[in-house]
Amino acid sequence: MIKKKFTTSTAYNLAVILLFAIIAVQLFSHQIINGSQYEEISRRNYVRIRRVTATRGMILDEKYRPIVINIPSINLYFRPAFIADRQEFIDFLTSNLEVTQEQLERLIYDYRFRPFEEVLISENLQEGTMARVAEGMNRFPELLFKAEVLRHYIIPNHFTGYVGRINEQEFRRYRGDDLTRNSLIGKTGIERYYEGLLAGKSGYEIVQVDALGKSLRLFRHDLNSPPVNGFNIVLTINLELQEHINQIFPKDRAGTVVVLNPKTGGILAYNSFPEFDQNWFASGISTAQWNYLRDHELRPLLDRVVMGTYPPGSTFKTVSAAYAIEKNLINENTRLAFCDGGMRIGDRVFRCWYRWGHGRRNIYEAMSVSCSVYFYDISSRFNLDEFQEFAQNSFLLDRTGIDLPSERAGFFPRTEWYRNRLGRYFSTLGIRANLSIGQGEVLVSPLALASYYGAIGNEGVWHTPHLFREAFNENTFISEGIVEKHTKILPYSENTLRVIQRTLHDSVYREGATGRNARVQGADIYAKTGTAENPQGDQPHAVIAGYAKWDGEAEIAFLVMIENGGWGGSTAGPIARQIIQFYQDRVR
Amino acid sequence: MKIPITREFDWKLFISWLILVFFGFFAIFSASSIKIDDEITTVDFWWKQIVFFLISLFFMFVILKIPSTLLDIFTFPSYFIVLSCLIIVLFMPAINNAQRWLLIFGVRFQPSEFAKIVIILVNARIMSRDNISNFRLVLQPLIFMVFPFFLILQQPDLGTALVLLAVYVVMLIQAGFPLWNLFLLITPLISIITSFYIPAFIIFALLLIYFLWKKKYGVHFITLIMVINLFVLFITPVLWGSLQPYQQNRILTFIDPTRDPLNTGYQIIQAKIAIGSGQLFGKGFLEGSQKNMNFLPEHHTDFIFSVISEELGFIGSILLLVLFIYFFRRIIKNIFRSEIKERRIAMAGCLSFLFFQVFINIGMNVGIMPTTGIPLPFISYGGSNMLASSIAVALVLKYSQE
Repeated sequence: MIKKKFTTSTAYNLAVILLFAIIAVQLFSHQIINGSQYEEISRRNYVRIRRVTATRGMILDEKYRPIVINIPSINLYFRPAFIADRQEFIDFLTSNLEVTQEQLERLIYDYRFRPFEEVLISENLQEGTMARVAEGMNRFPELLFKAEVLRHYIIPNHFTGYVGRINEQEFRRYRGDDLTRNSLIGKTGIERYYEGLLAGKSGYEIVQVDALGKSLRLFRHDLNSPPVNGFNIVLTINLELQEHINQIFPKDRAGTVVVLNPKTGGILAYNSFPEFDQNWFASGISTAQWNYLRDHELRPLLDRVVMGTYPPGSTFKTVSAAYAIEKNLINENTRLAFCDGGMRIGDRVFRCWYRWGHGRRNIYEAMSVSCSVYFYDISSRFNLDEFQEFAQNSFLLDRTGIDLPSERAGFFPRTEWYRNRLGRYFSTLGIRANLSIGQGEVLVSPLALASYYGAIGNEGVWHTPHLFREAFNENTFISEGIVEKHTKILPYSENTLRVIQRTLHDSVYREGATGRNARVQGADIYAKTGTAENPQGDQPHAVIAGYAKWDGEAEIAFLVMIENGGWGGSTAGPIARQIIQFYQDRVR
Repeated sequence: MKIPITREFDWKLFISWLILVFFGFFAIFSASSIKIDDEITTVDFWWKQIVFFLISLFFMFVILKIPSTLLDIFTFPSYFIVLSCLIIVLFMPAINNAQRWLLIFGVRFQPSEFAKIVIILVNARIMSRDNISNFRLVLQPLIFMVFPFFLILQQPDLGTALVLLAVYVVMLIQAGFPLWNLFLLITPLISIITSFYIPAFIIFALLLIYFLWKKKYGVHFITLIMVINLFVLFITPVLWGSLQPYQQNRILTFIDPTRDPLNTGYQIIQAKIAIGSGQLFGKGFLEGSQKNMNFLPEHHTDFIFSVISEELGFIGSILLLVLFIYFFRRIIKNIFRSEIKERRIAMAGCLSFLFFQVFINIGMNVGIMPTTGIPLPFISYGGSNMLASSIAVALVLKYSQE
């Protein structure tokens, strides 16, 4: 027993001493034998990981014409640790660049624990500035120029979004995702949504050279890895059409135009006016530029296609008509109340836009002249909640699921919503009348409305609208986007669809039709105009939405909306005509 | 039952523990400071560590003062508490890509640290049963280890899981399990390793058969052992192939960190430079340039030994090693002072737990051990580590008096 105790204890002691001896030998080898070599390395620290940044993918249109490209740019950096005289350094920069003393002091403070990192001061230096800064390089060893790339947006638009330097919050959120504090990341739009595809993956090189430039090869393995460049993304956008719309849209007006292919959901043109120049953001926006964009009365930063929701006005009558026919409230021959310019509901007179009245009409005649009294009359037989569900099933109220961040959903209140606001006793008669002509509380996003009209043209088949067509880099080709594309069917019977399609055709081609301005020789146009009362402004919003057919096939669906544009037929109509004409002549 | 004989409190062990902890304060103060010219910027880690020390001191005092029987009653309940903590941790948000921390009343702690202590106590109880057969001696503790082991692997914390295994083996030895049987137990492990290079396996198998024959084992037994080893040989490549590439990579990187130069490989390189550049006398307290320039990762936790080596040089590092050796030798002495088997096994568990942590951590710093998130006991910054290691010391101090 005593002997056994002795041996185990000795074994423990031996194990402890032996293992520690191995460590001591290792320490001896590092610190004494190779110590001076490591000391040399640490003094110069020339074992560095150098990041080789991947090139961000381009964004192209459907014909592979570039929309977003990379251009070379000279950027100015500094390393806080090497600042000799802080005040002199700040004075030099503030007198030569557009930076303030506060900004520089802020940067120096932010990097106080990482003084050897390279901190970006200014991007895309112009030649004159560069020359002036270069003159001071001798005095300020902390400054360094780097040749990098800058994102360049060929046309101002809202769908590509823009890139910007990563901020502290984003850096913490995406930690570990191959980012540095100077990384450019997509902030909005396609740049943001497809960040994973566009960004690529940085490579790195381990640099270990001595003062003579000889490779030291201190460590095993080839540790370098080349960067993987980002994917180039091809969109469904047609750049020519997009630019043409930019030219014909009335200047100094806010609004939106969407053109899409109803057979696939691919978006051909995506305009939100006023457009702004994203290059301002890509090259570091100045305070003056930012204030201009923020305070502009037409709000250029708002992407009206997916984030603006509007009362649809008379373009919503299509939904009301479809609902009435689907529920057998009317048939195509039913003539309703005599329109004498208005209709009394309860104690209020609801007016038709044509104050001399339209007379007694059937659905085709009523739609073509956009007679509101007809809809006031059928709305009395509507069930509000059922109507809401119908609109929802027509894919007008939910988000469409387009491949862009921050899409907003439409809005259509149910009875309960009114009960919460108006109390227990109220009549939905007037409310229904208002909603049936797309006024009042109903809000729809332009994109959802365009998709809806596309689905009618496509015999009731609705596709998720999207921008992505394909992506490729040096060795991979991706034809399916990340976005989930859905195909859904409008819950309309064949008869309903036929009647609705005919009303839309009549709205363009019938005598005195409101959409007559959209007629194009050679194409078959189906469209509904709208003039949406605007609670904020004096002038109503002008809208036209519909689709165009060639050889019996719906090829494009379109929506034109001009904020405060006046009458839909007379202001939005001609623009729709020019778009269809251009599509017919140049794109088809 | 034997009445415990009260013996002297081991002041030498206690004081050597104190010295190590104070060494840690200075190391942390230096590691969390950046000195450029004469300007020193310090992050508040060092005084937080003092707070952890005071808390640990309080817990040590409690453990030393309460009766052993009370402590024994709590052993099994605390096992289940720790086990449930380990399960909860898996649903916690990850920090540095691992889910190791649990937040209770605003205090963040790592249940895996306490799992080690509790498993030591539970296994000591099981292994010390009278007349336990060798078969049960091996299997019963494994039953208690298997859940925590896989939960810790899941976090993922490969290092801690391996420490658990090593502790288990040492405790088996202390419990009197024959060394030869222990070797037979781990032959499948050797087969796994050699299965990547068949000639090595053949040599190993031949040697194994030879020794088994020499030891006069029966043919049936030898066949059984060989069948098990051959099975392991064939199943390993299949299992390996069924792993996802990222899982294979994780294991390979664990063995050879330079495969992943951006993270662990870079850390190893920089730690080596830091240690080597310390040379004989070091660069002086607070003067470590690798540390000051932030090239050294995780200064104040996993790589604190590199900071010490860089600033205090070979002499300082050896001094620390000698301190640790003295400390462990005191523990070993205490193990054999106790006459209760359970206590001896438990103390051997505490010894191996502390020793392997120290060895793996310093080994990782000097580049002979894989990079794991194992801190240096008493020296590295961290409350859970400080508390768990101090409890282990308190247990040795307490049990050696019985």
